[in-house]
Amino acid sequence: MKTKKIVLTALICLLGLSGRSFCGFYVAKADAKLFNKSSQVILVRDGNRTTVTMSNDFKGDVKDFAMVVPVPTIIGRKDIKIADASVFNKLDAYSGPRLVEYFDQNPCQVNRVYAEHSLDMITTTSVREISAFRKDKAKSLGVTIEAQYKVDEYDILILSAKESNGLKIWLVQNGYKIPAQAEEVLAPYIKNNMKFFVVKVDVEKLDQINGMQNVNKYIDDPVMAKSRNLRPLQITYDSPKFMLPIRLGMANANGEQDMIVYALTKKGRVECTNYRTTKIPTNKNIPLFIKQKFGQFYVDLFDKAHNKADKEAVFLEYAWNVSPQFTGMKCDPCVGPPPIYTDLVKAGADWVLNSNNQVGDPVFFTRLHVRYSRETHPRDLEFQVTPNNEHFQARYILTNPASGDLTCDEGQKYCAKMVKKRAGELEELKTLTSWNTVQYKNYVQEYYDKLDDPRLLYDVEEDKNEIIPITPSNHTDPGLGLKLMIMGSVFITMLIMTLSLRLKRLRMA
Amino acid sequence: MEVNNIINAVKSFNQDARHFQILYLSIFLLYGVFGLDWDISATRILVVLGSAIITQFIWIRIVHGKLSALKSALITGLGLCLLLNSASLLTMGLASFLAISSKFILRIKNKHLFNPANFGIIVSIIVFQDAWISPGQWGSSALFLFVLSVLGGIILHKIGRLETTIVFLAALFLMEFGRTVLYQGWGMDVLFHKFSSGTLLLFSFFMITDPMTIPNAKASRIIWALVLAIATFVLSNWMQIYTAPIWVLFAMTPLTVILDKIYPKLKFEWTSNSKKMNLVNSKPKIN
Repeated sequence: MKTKKIVLTALICLLGLSGRSFCGFYVAKADAKLFNKSSQVILVRDGNRTTVTMSNDFKGDVKDFAMVVPVPTIIGRKDIKIADASVFNKLDAYSGPRLVEYFDQNPCQVNRVYAEHSLDMITTTSVREISAFRKDKAKSLGVTIEAQYKVDEYDILILSAKESNGLKIWLVQNGYKIPAQAEEVLAPYIKNNMKFFVVKVDVEKLDQINGMQNVNKYIDDPVMAKSRNLRPLQITYDSPKFMLPIRLGMANANGEQDMIVYALTKKGRVECTNYRTTKIPTNKNIPLFIKQKFGQFYVDLFDKAHNKADKEAVFLEYAWNVSPQFTGMKCDPCVGPPPIYTDLVKAGADWVLNSNNQVGDPVFFTRLHVRYSRETHPRDLEFQVTPNNEHFQARYILTNPASGDLTCDEGQKYCAKMVKKRAGELEELKTLTSWNTVQYKNYVQEYYDKLDDPRLLYDVEEDKNEIIPITPSNHTDPGLGLKLMIMGSVFITMLIMTLSLRLKRLRMA
Repeated sequence: MEVNNIINAVKSFNQDARHFQILYLSIFLLYGVFGLDWDISATRILVVLGSAIITQFIWIRIVHGKLSALKSALITGLGLCLLLNSASLLTMGLASFLAISSKFILRIKNKHLFNPANFGIIVSIIVFQDAWISPGQWGSSALFLFVLSVLGGIILHKIGRLETTIVFLAALFLMEFGRTVLYQGWGMDVLFHKFSSGTLLLFSFFMITDPMTIPNAKASRIIWALVLAIATFVLSNWMQIYTAPIWVLFAMTPLTVILDKIYPKLKFEWTSNSKKMNLVNSKPKIN
């Protein structure tokens, strides 16, 4: 039997009823190089009900794909769905760090416009492999197949195990090799009575869904086989725990891994309770040339922020009320069309529409970015839903200078301001990313050369694009009446006590 | 003599454990805002502290209390800034207002029932529903935690309540060790990470040790701390309430009253105790 190596990535995670649980793991070819991995998860939380959608951007031959996810209970067939991959793209595009561009007007001639660019975040590259499931002998190893489903192209098994050794042997016998580091976390999860949600792909079914079975008969191209796409799996369960288990995902990871969490709730922001949640730097004026390297800029910015936060923080990249019925400003700049009812329902926020297809409860969207490793993140990520509905976006500002003749007095002042502004932008860039900005001397020099009299520099002040968009949250205080009532009753108590104490003293006198 | 003045100043600072509490809590707040980039505006801090001090002042006038009780109000205000979060300034101010007022309204036998900051936090979360606690906001910076424990220890030693914290933390640690490491098989790093929560340590050193709201007798304080630890352990492990200690402390108010009834004599013994006690007496004698 061919032995295949299990590569653990922190992709899919479920909650244990008590204690920790872990992320799903992918099975990959032994030679697969898996550095700088990142994964995406949509987490929808409503009361104790959690819906987890796992993105599946598996790039290899899908017959090599397999995934094991721990789950708190035996998940029923109706709680397993296949989601639309486009939901991830939409949520990512809409919530990603954004670059806003302003255009200066020539002061020598006689409003500002902006354009925006979205940033395609780091994508996952990994190769995974599957082996066939073997149910026989499972029982003797203390491994029980609790349920078995076919959900379109996916074959799903739900296993329970009595002890980690039995599960390990079962996996090995079925063609998986468990990295030594993974073993140490199998036992704690089994101790918590976790079930294991094991997924493989039925390639024939997948080709049938894609209408490819006839094409396959005539064309035998390995490239075509590798370009099949897998759709995200979505599972729903009830558990008080609201967490993403990451420990198992670290077992085979060389260093750090990234995960983007798109969280949708009725109430407000989602934050991590056992690691620090902090905002990524935002609303910074950065040099114009970043437009061409925004991707690299943001990767380095994140890297620096991560290091500065002792490598343990969870970064907030976006927070907004995205309810379709929310009338306030949805974004500024908007980097994509806002999610519509169907997108939110597909993502698992089924409350946006009630049973009569009428507008339901609001949806608050939080995007969190965490980079974790075994050393800095010994515990799984635990979350809470807060009533915080303040809006936030990762936004960076570019300024396109005025064009044309700048020799008039106002134009010269403008040039002087630009020299100061551009120097400031470079310094900001250096602070944010640690780039060596001296190499961009010309960026400042350009406007210095346009100055007839450099002394003008001492007479002007730097002109920053401080146009920070108003990010309205729900300013009406829903509990205002109650708050005033409570405050009033305390004041009345104060008054009564004052009077009764006075009366007492008078009587004593 | 200037040197004498300084010595006198240090002496008078040393007289009241509350001075140390104010100093340390202020350091933590500055660390949070500047070191950890907390999302707290200066306005919010002013509203919370202002509301606490003004409310305390009004109550002092009503009950003809001592002005030195303003220090206690400042401690409560700082505690609220460190633990409670809300996007609404009204909620933050009101939490402070209610926290201080609770000391004067909810009383039994000349002792207020609830720890004021704890009361303010719970009421804001339950009643107003737009406030929350961020237990993860401290990160797990080792140096900070070391400083917090040492400073906390000094204060508790001064006010003679160190055993409450030690019993609570030790009991909780043993239970967590049994469950996390011995039973579940996690590594020690998981356990240490659980205990490196700044919120837990702040709670242990600065909230459950408030001499005005915990039992008077040493024996009852030990029982009380054990019950607190067990309840915290159960709530956080089986009900996923990560801010469990704060809720348990609130719910344990009746126990304090009962324990004070069971061990009433010991209260005397404790107050007649040496110079340490004098410091305690100068502590939050609220009014």
